[in-house]
Amino acid sequence: MEWVIANMAPLMFGALVLFLLFGYPVAFALAANGILFGLIGIELGLLQPALFQALPERIFGIMANDTLLAIPFFTFMGLILERSGMAEDLLDTIGQLFGPIRGGLAFAVIFVGALLAATTGVVAASVISMGLISLPIMLRYGYDKRLATGVIAASGTLAQIIPPSLVLIIMADQLGRSVGDMYEGAMVPGLVLTGLYVGYVVLITIIKPSAAPALPPEARTLRGSKLLLRVLTALVPPLVLIFLVLGTIFLGIATPTEGGAMGAAGALILAVSRKRLTWQLTRQAMETTGKLSAFVIFILVGSTVFGLTFRAVDGDLWVEHLLLSLPGGEIGFLVVVNIMVFLLAFFLDFFELAFIIVPLLAPVADKLGIDLVWFGVLLAVNMQTSFMHPPFGFALFYLRSVAPPAIKTTDIYWGAIPFVCIQLIMVALIITFPNLVSYGDEHQKELQRMERDGTAPPPAGLDTLIPQGTDDEQSSDNADLLKGLQGDAK
Amino acid sequence: MTLLLKLSQLIDWLNERVGKGAFWLVLIMTVISAGNASIRFVFDTSSNGLLEIQWYLFAAIFLLCAPYTLQKNEHVRIDVLSGKLSPRGLAVIDIIGTLFFLLPMVVAVLWLSLPLVAESYRIQEMSANAGGLIRWPVKILLPIGFTLLALQGLSELIKRIAFLAGRIEDPNSKPKGPTPEEQLAAAIAAAKAQEAK
Amino acid sequence: QSLPNIKWRLTSSFPKSLDTIYGGADVLANRLREMTGGKFDIRVFPGGEIVPGLQALDAVQQGTVEVCHTCSYYYVGKDKTFGFGTSVPFGMNARQQNAWIYYGGGQKLLDDFYANYNVVSFAGGNTGTQMGGWWRKEVKTVADLKGVKMRIAGLGGTVFAELGVVPQQIAGGDIYPALEKGTIDAAEWVGPYDDEKLGFYKVAKNYYYPGFWESGPAIHFFVNKKEWDKLPKEYQAAFQAAAYEANVTMMAEYDHKNPIALSSLLRNGVKLQAFSDEILNAAYQATQQVYADESGKNPAFKKIYTEWEKYRKTQNAWFSVAEMRMDRFLQSRK
Ligand code: NA
Ligand code: NA
Repeated sequence: MEWVIANMAPLMFGALVLFLLFGYPVAFALAANGILFGLIGIELGLLQPALFQALPERIFGIMANDTLLAIPFFTFMGLILERSGMAEDLLDTIGQLFGPIRGGLAFAVIFVGALLAATTGVVAASVISMGLISLPIMLRYGYDKRLATGVIAASGTLAQIIPPSLVLIIMADQLGRSVGDMYEGAMVPGLVLTGLYVGYVVLITIIKPSAAPALPPEARTLRGSKLLLRVLTALVPPLVLIFLVLGTIFLGIATPTEGGAMGAAGALILAVSRKRLTWQLTRQAMETTGKLSAFVIFILVGSTVFGLTFRAVDGDLWVEHLLLSLPGGEIGFLVVVNIMVFLLAFFLDFFELAFIIVPLLAPVADKLGIDLVWFGVLLAVNMQTSFMHPPFGFALFYLRSVAPPAIKTTDIYWGAIPFVCIQLIMVALIITFPNLVSYGDEHQKELQRMERDGTAPPPAGLDTLIPQGTDDEQSSDNADLLKGLQGDAK
Repeated sequence: MTLLLKLSQLIDWLNERVGKGAFWLVLIMTVISAGNASIRFVFDTSSNGLLEIQWYLFAAIFLLCAPYTLQKNEHVRIDVLSGKLSPRGLAVIDIIGTLFFLLPMVVAVLWLSLPLVAESYRIQEMSANAGGLIRWPVKILLPIGFTLLALQGLSELIKRIAFLAGRIEDPNSKPKGPTPEEQLAAAIAAAKAQEAK
Repeated sequence: QSLPNIKWRLTSSFPKSLDTIYGGADVLANRLREMTGGKFDIRVFPGGEIVPGLQALDAVQQGTVEVCHTCSYYYVGKDKTFGFGTSVPFGMNARQQNAWIYYGGGQKLLDDFYANYNVVSFAGGNTGTQMGGWWRKEVKTVADLKGVKMRIAGLGGTVFAELGVVPQQIAGGDIYPALEKGTIDAAEWVGPYDDEKLGFYKVAKNYYYPGFWESGPAIHFFVNKKEWDKLPKEYQAAFQAAAYEANVTMMAEYDHKNPIALSSLLRNGVKLQAFSDEILNAAYQATQQVYADESGKNPAFKKIYTEWEKYRKTQNAWFSVAEMRMDRFLQSRK
């Protein structure tokens, strides 16, 4: 019994794997694991039944989390684009444009993925809309299923590293650094990662050309001025939408979350104006958005049940003990931490990772003199794998939900693996070339460092704040106030 | 059994109505969000109520669509192992899953949420933000949604048992008829044919 | 006889990144362990780990956890009377708030009100007068406020709304980009130390003061009434002492950190601005109206407000004498 109490957290992990593999919906398997171990914990005296009262409070928290609104907005936009055929037109046309180039469609997907990433910070929205738009087209043109799903899932997870990003916001919060600095620091790694994805596709077109074919000549129906015209017309809707999403954020019209709604509303208007929108299509898009939102949010609901019990049985302390037994040294710390985060990402999703691990790692990193913004970006890139890990990566779940039955789940898993490797290469790159993460100006960072060390120059400028003039001018007339006091005394 | 199957049909009918009604909120929520941003930019006016109604609506969407999503078997599963099972094997998994995974959690949350909703109603709790909304209408969505979800679990249970007893066809089998993707392909082909004329 | 081992969970409303405020709960927990030889053990959880930060009080009320560390004014949606424990617009400064709670009858008034929510309260920290937030454009007159979109919660938002400001409580992660691009024109947080970390100074240069809606916000420990009554007298006394310490040290810590952060902000080109008399006057008038309206329809509010307002005026008069003269004189000597 003592042994069970001491090992509740690893037991929970182990049981979770079994529960998920059982094949019942993920959301409820997660929750059931939390409930079961909660009951065991009550039986063992580790927690009080009253703690379960936190469950509805936590679910209210999910309901009131307005950041999650990005999920339905971007999904709805993606669906309208897809259902109205406008996305198909675009990728079709880009396919024609890149026609002679092998891997052209895959490049287009990465490009579109990075663009979507620059508009949203939510992997679910990005993967779902990308999967809906690109997967059928890639399959039609004879792309390897694994390459197609891998490219889409990986390009979708770019949403987490290219600002704006939910991951970076949470990371900044946990590390006590500014969101702006995190965004700035993540920009270059995000672009380099995009470049690595492109590089991988280039490699594939050389090694295994059949996996990423050029369009067959008979599919390249348009040439010359006709193609040019087609490119111009097909590009209009996405450009308008990019303007609506990015432009309205940039011009200060909409918040990043509202940008999704602007895009969705714009997609509706465009579809109507091109006479591509029927009530049936709209209903389908709404229905799919509703169902996708339900299953995505219910995974969050399930993991909040799991997370409560995990904490209640001191699972976070267990992780802390793991950390404290790490070997010393900066590089040793970084290597071990990254391996550990990578392994934990098999079981925990990003939010659990961020809330459990980061607060434990940050003080150690800070003591070792590691810049916390840099450290945060490094972890964010590593944790990106938690979305891509077979079998439990959430990006893979999302893709599964929108992929046609012809795609086997194992295709999605195998497709993800090369991209997980690329993400790990990116982690190594950031450790090897720390300057990839640059933010703020050096002068200001130096000042902040000196202030933390207490070696800052005497506060310049504060004394100039004090109002000028003699103390006679300063003394205000407080006679009325004092009269009030006397009144009180009477 | 016949009576239970009738009950199952009634639950399915109810949750399909509710789910399909809630889908419309997607459109309403989008229009409110985009509209609020535009009006705020042009006329420098808005209210916190317009921001809060968005997550009220989204809460309604995912809570009220979840039972219908369960009915349509569209909550994501990891089917690496179970994908190889026969329809009967899958039905057994669903029976066990419904009884031991779904229902305990749903009933627990449903039960525990009631006092919170009652308290919110008792004190007529408002948003803490200027111009914000009253809270109980969104909080009550939690027990409503979870009640419907529990009912849907019951219905799925009945259907799986009836299937094992040979009373109905496999409830897990995909509905017949074209998928949305196939419908889309057909629509595009039709549009292209139109253009060609 | 020997004292029992007691384990409590404390849910904080604050993230660890607000280290000074969050640290108040650690002060309480550490001191209690030291004073009781580890027998009274409170484990502190940051906001969101057990329940969302703004639902900490609910968790204590329902008995989910035994104790929380939070601001009572987060709960003005339940009843505006919750404002007084922490701070209401144009309220008292940190020392006056302590005087009122500890000696001016405030504790009794507040706990009578909190009894409806099944909790007892202990002051456990203060930030001192907060800053008035980051503004993209200068505001000199009340007319300048018209149509200004500001992220500000609670009663401060209600008062600003009366002056034509448009309060927009947008999603937390959207604040920085929205302020950068001008989707909102202003946002407020705490004071220099906490504000610097969020980096708003990079996108909105005008740093206004004072945050008249938070002149001396007290942070509180709320304990579930039943759990409190179950505590041995010795632990109750220890808890109270530890809460006093958290209350004093948080204020001292902020007073130590804020000038350092402010000077760093100034070096980064921040433009420090005082709200004009016109704006403060208009806000003050609007606030009085809000209090009058609420008193008219909310007896609980009226009961505390009447006592509180009397006390505030007395304190105000006293602080205008020795304290103010001394401060002003020394501030005029360079
Ligand atoms: Na992004
Ligand atoms: Na503030």
